Amino acid sequence: MKFAYGLAATFLVIIATATLTLGQTPNESGASDEAGTIAVMDHIWLDAAHNRDPGTMEWLFAKDFVEIHPGGEIVDKKEQIDQIKDPTRQIKEIHPDDIDVRYLSSDVAMLLDTTTIRGLSGGVDYNGTYKVIRVFVKEQGRWKAAGAGIAPIKP
Amino acid sequence: MKRFSIAALATILIFAPLAFAQTQDRSSAEEETLKKLDHSWLDAEKRLDIAYCEKFFADSYVLVFPNGQVYTKKQWLDVLRGPDHPVITFLDPEDIKVHLHGNVAILTDHTTLKGHDSKGNSMDGEFNVFRVVIKKNGNWQAAGVVMNAIAAKK
Repeated sequence: MKFAYGLAATFLVIIATATLTLGQTPNESGASDEAGTIAVMDHIWLDAAHNRDPGTMEWLFAKDFVEIHPGGEIVDKKEQIDQIKDPTRQIKEIHPDDIDVRYLSSDVAMLLDTTTIRGLSGGVDYNGTYKVIRVFVKEQGRWKAAGAGIAPIKP
Repeated sequence: MKRFSIAALATILIFAPLAFAQTQDRSSAEEETLKKLDHSWLDAEKRLDIAYCEKFFADSYVLVFPNGQVYTKKQWLDVLRGPDHPVITFLDPEDIKVHLHGNVAILTDHTTLKGHDSKGNSMDGEFNVFRVVIKKNGNWQAAGVVMNAIAAKK
């Protein structure tokens, strides 16, 4: 009788382990889900910029975040958040299109998108479309934005 | 028991700073490696070393020029190996900053470019460049680049 219980317990462990393993194995659907998550993060990032929401940016940006703006200005996390908080900056519209997740691993994602901006900053007109590379890293199980490089699309 | 606890605490206090210092050393060594890699990368492009670029560029590599034009790995290698390749006489990164996040690093640098395209048009310029390199199977590979012409100061 003890043997039968032991056997049943062993089978249960094998089945449970196999189920867990299958759930963790990266597959096409899993990769697609992660790519979808990254695309959502892209929207969250730009929505936070549009809504002048430093709290979301603080949550989203990795500690060593870096961004290169059109014109070549390089900003870190604090500088980027300060710019978003700056009341003289007006972002009337900002959204990503054509999001292409170029690279995806368990802890790194890099995407290319086309970002449309309508806004003014320090009297400078930022209206236009931009090609942007955005990098995300997984820290303690959560995706964070590590940086972005932005170049204007010139006609 | 108390003596054991004190010994354990002492061990932790002794080795924790050492482990931290080793991590810092590794990170600093990795940063130096990546700075050298930035130079090797641009040297290879300058001398049109297709074999180096073929190996160093990840399949997902994407290059964004200051005018927003985008090249994939294949497209950019075709340009470099084709008859209309640019002629680069000077290509040097300075002020390289490494932002290391485990298996990915973002490098920012100030690159000076001197040269001309196949039609003789000058490509001279100063750029702030955003470079993404990823570590795969222990090797760093270029994944993406965004070049930004530096706006003239008013």
